Amino acid sequence: MTGFSYLYDLLITPFTDFAFMRRALVGSIALSIGACPIGVFLMLRRMSLVGDAMAHAILPGAALGYLFAGLSLGFMTAGGLIAGFVVALLAGLVTRVTILKEDAALASFYLISLAGGVVLVSLRGSNVDLLHVLFGSVLALDDITLLLLAASTTVSLLALALLFRPLVLECVDPLFLRTVSQSGSVAHFGFLALVVLNLVAGFHALGTLLSVGLMMVPAFAARFWSSTLDCTILTATLIGMISSGVGIVISYHAGTPTGPTIILSAGGLYIFSILFGRRNGLFLRLLPRKHLAA
Amino acid sequence: MLRLLTLCMCLSLLSGTPANAAEPVPIVASFSILGDLVHQIGGDRVSVDTLVGPEEDAHVFDPAPRDAARLAAAKLVVINGLGFEGWIDRLIKASGGAPRLVIASVGISSHRALIDGREILDPHAWQDVSNVRIYARNIADALISIDSEGGNVYRANLARFDAYLAALDDEIHAAISAIPSERRKIVTTHDAFGYFALAYGVEMIAPQGVSTEAEASAKDVARIIRQVKSEKIPAVFLENISDPRLAAQIAAESGARIGGKLYSDALSKENAPAGTYIAMMKANIRELTKALMP
Amino acid sequence: MIEETPLSSCPWSDAPQPPPPRSRRSIASGKCKNCCIADADVGDGPAYRRVGDHRLDMAGRSGGAPMTNPRTGSIQLNDVTLGYDRHPAVHHISGCFKAGSLTAVIGPNGAGKSTLLKAIAGMLRPLSGTIARASETSRLAYLPQLAELDRDFPISVEDLVGTGFWSKMGPFRRYRREDRLLIDEALEKVGLAGFNKRMLGTLSGGQLQRVLFARLMVQDAEMILIDEPFAAIDTKTVSDLMGLVRHWHGEGRTIIAVLHDMGLVAEFFPDSLLLARECVAWGATSHVLTPDHLAKARSMIEANDPHADECERAA
Repeated sequence: MTGFSYLYDLLITPFTDFAFMRRALVGSIALSIGACPIGVFLMLRRMSLVGDAMAHAILPGAALGYLFAGLSLGFMTAGGLIAGFVVALLAGLVTRVTILKEDAALASFYLISLAGGVVLVSLRGSNVDLLHVLFGSVLALDDITLLLLAASTTVSLLALALLFRPLVLECVDPLFLRTVSQSGSVAHFGFLALVVLNLVAGFHALGTLLSVGLMMVPAFAARFWSSTLDCTILTATLIGMISSGVGIVISYHAGTPTGPTIILSAGGLYIFSILFGRRNGLFLRLLPRKHLAA
Repeated sequence: MLRLLTLCMCLSLLSGTPANAAEPVPIVASFSILGDLVHQIGGDRVSVDTLVGPEEDAHVFDPAPRDAARLAAAKLVVINGLGFEGWIDRLIKASGGAPRLVIASVGISSHRALIDGREILDPHAWQDVSNVRIYARNIADALISIDSEGGNVYRANLARFDAYLAALDDEIHAAISAIPSERRKIVTTHDAFGYFALAYGVEMIAPQGVSTEAEASAKDVARIIRQVKSEKIPAVFLENISDPRLAAQIAAESGARIGGKLYSDALSKENAPAGTYIAMMKANIRELTKALMP
Repeated sequence: MIEETPLSSCPWSDAPQPPPPRSRRSIASGKCKNCCIADADVGDGPAYRRVGDHRLDMAGRSGGAPMTNPRTGSIQLNDVTLGYDRHPAVHHISGCFKAGSLTAVIGPNGAGKSTLLKAIAGMLRPLSGTIARASETSRLAYLPQLAELDRDFPISVEDLVGTGFWSKMGPFRRYRREDRLLIDEALEKVGLAGFNKRMLGTLSGGQLQRVLFARLMVQDAEMILIDEPFAAIDTKTVSDLMGLVRHWHGEGRTIIAVLHDMGLVAEFFPDSLLLARECVAWGATSHVLTPDHLAKARSMIEANDPHADECERAA
């Protein structure tokens, strides 16, 4: 019995003892549910670096909010959301209408946006690190922030369900989609809007690293376990949730910063998947196995 | 080393030209608290320009070209020293000269503290009023040396200001003594009150480092909450620069009171209660008493 | 068979281009000699009649009962010029794909064949001229060259074929049992029975092409455009899929296919359009595929002239 109670102390007690631990768990699980499916699509569309770019692209929006209302989180977050949407919109437009591809279009606008943001911030005179003020920590989730996370996750899931088929088709065979429907653009921009929503909500609640990392790394790991889209999405979400729990517990016992620890846990699962994943894992490939009959 | 340099500079200033009695002497102070001290001592004979203004963060200050211009135009530059202005050397080089520099903290007894996770010299010496009396003396000496004509004015101002400071020091001591000794501890998210703690006997516990860069770990937060609960620390204080959400989270979970705003590194803007140094210290002690008195 | 009778109404071989019709109304009334929809011109072909629910016709009837009014399946090109960045890939094409026709578009590399198909499918706007379908509501299915598909995407064969239902179902309706049966049938017809759950990435080139043909079937369109469907495909698959194409032709669908294999064209395609950036010849295959025409086509392909003047024939 002592083994069991030791395990209990290790894994469960931190959550029963402290409210902030429970909140951290709930918050990061909520983010996983909303963001991991989006991360899978980003990965499949070869847009894996978009999250990081977006973190910088929202600066002018936050700066405008700051110029307008000072260090008000509400205004700065709203500004960040708007800036993110505008950048995503312009990037999507340029991709569809000009010869530039998705990566170049997004990079162009996020760089312009970032530079604009730096200039705007300097107008106010001081150089308060706006982005740091804007970004929160998983250990400091108050009620409002939890509600924000829950709301963005719900909106995300609903929108993804609506956009699912056009989105998939746009990834697989965009030319075919154009011949049968006009909804390719709606799916494209709707998806970008979802990315911005999840990222900004995530930044606000949990900081950039955690937000982007939790969106992408579980998706990469899931690729080594499932071959169908539905399975990949479910696996990614599961991996995200497990990483959150494991990361928080490790941070509790070892005293490491919580956000990065969650991402490292996801990273650990990712390395494990590369080596031992059921689909194309290195270990499996090196092992001599009889081929199937058909 | 710096003291020697300053001494040499002060000596060389004695041969400076006498200032025009009608025109105020241009002085640049590095941040708002020093700006106020110079104003108190210099009165109408000086015009003070401050680099890091009220409610701005000197740790992340990034000098702009116009700051270099202001520096070049000034007759005297007042800095805190003790490593507080990490950017000052760069700025002096950029301004193209060696302006007359006075380090206000010359002569105080400094201590080392854990700041930003590193054990370094604690620069926030102004939190101890007796240190500020030394600051005022240093500033007066410097002013007299560059503007010997105003010597009498400066000495009179110093005497008057010193009396206020002495009274303030007594007031703070009295207020703290009125608080029961077991309640003389607070949690604050800023490592800036080391000198205050030492001088006046209030224990300061911080859950994270000075700047907003350092990320908290779940272990630290749990430790703080446990400590607050077990040692019955009465209050948690928000700091006007770094992330307040974490402090709020700790307060909510541990049952401590949330104290009001404590000013550590900067004065507030005109209309708020901490527009001058004395007002700032009085505001702080008011908040402390309010939170800690049973 | 139509190829016995030269299409006297479309003498494209050497004559100068006849004036194109100005409006769709003149098409329907058969006033324009160049267009080809008036019933009287059809001649030896099977009698056309309207059939209500064309889904029933998909259910395995090899006789290929025709599905809709032939007027809806024709495509008219009026002095069409297509290109990228003002350099034309296709110059001043006029003509008509008859409803229910089976036309091969052939020509040397760089002749503008894919470009033409893209434009007919609505993917590319003409630099000048117009492309008109007799009916805007008739469905068009376009199968581009293989490169456009993301083969790494985790989608099953069944789901990919199912996307062919889009025009009928839109993005939200769930698949019903009949839909699944139709998918199964389509897969069976292309020789991939039982492949429903296989992932896209595991298919060979030939198998993928069969899947795409299955999707074409499910789309149930009156007009079918196919761009080089048999490049690098094994001969068994080619013959199976050509059988399907003939079946569709029997059902009265208008089919336009870009091909490189002249043998295939000569054997299976009644009509051909020989393209070398301009129309070299358009009509019955036996009249188009002559050594003279082929030589002329080869000589007409030249490199893009960066200093070209504005075309005098531009409208």
